[in-house]
Amino acid sequence: MAFWNEIGNRVAWLFRRSRFDREFEEEVRFHIQARADELEQAGLTGADALRQARREFGSTLRSWEETRSAWQMRWLEDLGSDLHYAARSLRRNRALALAAVGSLALGIGANTTIFSVAREALFSQPSCRDFQSLVQISVGGNTWVPMSQYRFLEDTHAFDGLAGMNIQMVVNWRDGNRSYRLAGTRVTGNFFEVVGIPVAMGRPIERSESNVAVITHGFWTKHLGGDPNVVGRTLALDGEPYTVIGVLPRDHRMLAGFGFTPDLYLTKDPGEVMLYARLPRGMTRQAAYTRLQPICRELDRVYPDVNRQWAKEVRLSAVGGVERLQEGGQEAIPVAAFFVMLVVVTAIVVLIACANVSSLLLARAFTRSREFAIRMSLGGSRGRLVRQLLAESLLLALLGTGAGLLLNLWLTSLLSGVHIPTPLPIELVIQPDRMLLAYSVALAFVVTLATGLVPALKGTRAGIGGALKEGGRQAGPAGYALRNALVVGQLAVSILLLSVGLLFIRNLMYATSFNAGFDTTHTLVATYQTVWGSYTPRKFAALVDTALDRLRALPGVEAASPASAVPLNPFLAFNRPGGQFRPDSGSRTVRAQYNSNAVGPDYFRIMGIPILQGRAFADSDRIGAPEVVILNENLARRLFGNSNPVGHTLRFPNNRDARVVGVARNCKYVTLGEDHASAVYEPFFQQNHSAFAHFFVRTRSAPETMVRKVDETLAGLDGGAAVETHAMGEVFAGALLPSRLGAAILGSMALFGLLLASIGLYGVLLYATQQRIREIGIRVALGATPANVLAMVVGQSLRLVTAGAGFGLAVAAIAVRPLSMFLVPEVRPADPMNFVMVAAVLALVAGLATVAPTARALRVDPAVALRHE
Amino acid sequence: MEPHTIPELLPGTLYLLILRSLSRGPLHGYAIVKRIKDASREGLRIEDGSLYPALNRMLVKGWLTSEWGVSENNRKARFYRLTPEGRRQLDTEAGEFDRLVRAIQMVMRTA
Repeated sequence: MAFWNEIGNRVAWLFRRSRFDREFEEEVRFHIQARADELEQAGLTGADALRQARREFGSTLRSWEETRSAWQMRWLEDLGSDLHYAARSLRRNRALALAAVGSLALGIGANTTIFSVAREALFSQPSCRDFQSLVQISVGGNTWVPMSQYRFLEDTHAFDGLAGMNIQMVVNWRDGNRSYRLAGTRVTGNFFEVVGIPVAMGRPIERSESNVAVITHGFWTKHLGGDPNVVGRTLALDGEPYTVIGVLPRDHRMLAGFGFTPDLYLTKDPGEVMLYARLPRGMTRQAAYTRLQPICRELDRVYPDVNRQWAKEVRLSAVGGVERLQEGGQEAIPVAAFFVMLVVVTAIVVLIACANVSSLLLARAFTRSREFAIRMSLGGSRGRLVRQLLAESLLLALLGTGAGLLLNLWLTSLLSGVHIPTPLPIELVIQPDRMLLAYSVALAFVVTLATGLVPALKGTRAGIGGALKEGGRQAGPAGYALRNALVVGQLAVSILLLSVGLLFIRNLMYATSFNAGFDTTHTLVATYQTVWGSYTPRKFAALVDTALDRLRALPGVEAASPASAVPLNPFLAFNRPGGQFRPDSGSRTVRAQYNSNAVGPDYFRIMGIPILQGRAFADSDRIGAPEVVILNENLARRLFGNSNPVGHTLRFPNNRDARVVGVARNCKYVTLGEDHASAVYEPFFQQNHSAFAHFFVRTRSAPETMVRKVDETLAGLDGGAAVETHAMGEVFAGALLPSRLGAAILGSMALFGLLLASIGLYGVLLYATQQRIREIGIRVALGATPANVLAMVVGQSLRLVTAGAGFGLAVAAIAVRPLSMFLVPEVRPADPMNFVMVAAVLALVAGLATVAPTARALRVDPAVALRHE
Repeated sequence: MEPHTIPELLPGTLYLLILRSLSRGPLHGYAIVKRIKDASREGLRIEDGSLYPALNRMLVKGWLTSEWGVSENNRKARFYRLTPEGRRQLDTEAGEFDRLVRAIQMVMRTA
């Protein structure tokens, strides 16, 4: 405490230094005058008294110096002059400074950007009042509960409010003569009140209101043109008028987290909800749990459900920060792991950049060792020299970090608000904050020490005599060894980076070549949704039939089929039921989870999925006709072994019987990474659909040219229905996104790391050659052939590269193993081919880096070299 | 570094003397010297040159504050005042000093 006061006083003094001098002078004048007055009273004459008083006071200069030093912070002023000196010396070596700052900036920019994105995606706090006392509740092991159960729980008033929301809803918005699908989050009337979501304009939704909506900033600006009078405007949502009562701020972060951003919140029966409770002040989650338990037992009594018990697996989890991530469980782990990997990879790039800077500083420190020796022999302390050298790396680190931060701001502003091309409405709001600043300062500190400490210590260690005797020309074996070690380290970690990058690039190549088991080149898909409740299943089936007829009548359309799910699309995903199957309705049961899709007869032809046994669906497979299914190979084998399943009856987990009429070839269903997935196809017209269908259309020409035609045809059927049509390739962009992102980031980081490492290698070889010019000259004069000189330089390069590659491959072989969780099964991290390719790339680049130093060595003219100083 | 200009003072006692002379109210630098000289019946003399470094060190430590005022003969002078922290410091230093002196006296009488 006292210490900080003292520092504060000293710092305050720095700002009134000029006043201090004036005041000190005045004070001393007063002191001497007062003494002189006294002496005069004692009988001395005025002039004598003053002289006497001055003599008694002694040296005012010394007193001034001592007084001043009471206030000074030597280290701070020294730091200032060190930085000043460092800036001057860096200005004189512009190339070095630029190279160092540039590579640090790129590395730090990439690293902090990943940090920012990861922080936002994983740890951001949702926009709400006091998120600590807000919890998400799951009962019966389920985060979703039906509305009647929600009402029961809310009526108990166990907490300071219990609200529900349903994020999975799509609403049709009719604007002019078109309808759009919006991601609408349906909330209970008390949702805004309980959660305490701030609004930027208008007001939040209040209890017992109906037909009102609060829109997000993104929807307001993108779809409503940022209309300043939007509050009070009416939107036709699902055929009903809704009044916009509020607009959310730009940085609204939804409770669901992970950047999920809907278009609007609206009051409409959500059907089922996720539960959020506001705990009373001071209530712990444990206490809340204890209070909730008996209520859930009561719930079991009132709403008995054979499939689940509400009182089982009751859980209260955090809605933000690290805790949410820890409790997020299964879904959060790969995402978090991916970010951790990115942070590590970019940190490695920063390290490689540090090694380069360190190597450059080391070379400079050795060339300056004569200067240091002279300064030390004149009484300069080594600590002072080390500090001065560290100031240089501090300056480089600060500049690099500063530039990296600018890069970060630019990149994150690019990323922020970018609508990530997934069917899920995901948007990240990335803003610089204190955490980022703290992280960057820590990074700059680490970089300073990593780049500067060793060169500073080594550079100033050379004994005074030694450095002066040798003339400061030779770096000495210690210097070589250290720089060699740095280069070997760089090469080794760039091997690691390359291995990771290559895996992701191969993953992308594999994913893009799209051996997903179906053909997307001539397919487009339209998602069609009518207003909920406006059709009976029978009428909807008739609508789908009409739609198919009209689509088929379009010129250029080869075939059209409805389907209930789109493969490889998390938002339009498959149902994934599972349970006990009974082949031939017998006693033998097989447990299986499967992807279920309801499709029309032409689906297999459109998607290019061959039917291997039996037949595809026919038009006659409708309600009333015998129930039939088609299995994929995986499920057919699991259920029926190697025998032909066609014609057999299968009892489903829900005790429904259906006859197997065909076996379809395996393909990907949910993710490209899945392996051995099972699937069941059912006839679309044998199921009850009343609002929702995807239309798959096979076109003769490129599907992009047909998008508008198909879209208009479907939109003409029912003005209230929302239609969204895309070429199939576009729809799969979401499935490819992780591979693209991974390949782009890791591939570029790997290349960048390799570039830095090869610059490091080049620098060391060139420096070594220059140091040995005299030696080479003597060798040539004594009869060494160009081949000998070549062998000398190339040999050194080869030794470094071999050592680096050896270490790197050994580490990489183990370190890349866990990456398989991010890759499609066809790309194996342990594949020796990866490492062969990586080693080849490294050898090539190292070869290029060796060319210039070798050429320099071969050009050595003994006559010139021997005079070389 | 402690002031080395008054070898006849025990190390650290300069602070104690200054604190004590300011305990009855603010004084300017010359008055402090005079107060110590008078109170010790000229037995203790503080060198003028070492007074100001000491005062400034005490300002840094936050034991004193200073302000400009007018002296008894109408000259502009800088007055030093004890802070509560300075008063605490005086109490501890005075106690320590007493113990030290008593201990030394005990040794001188009995050893």
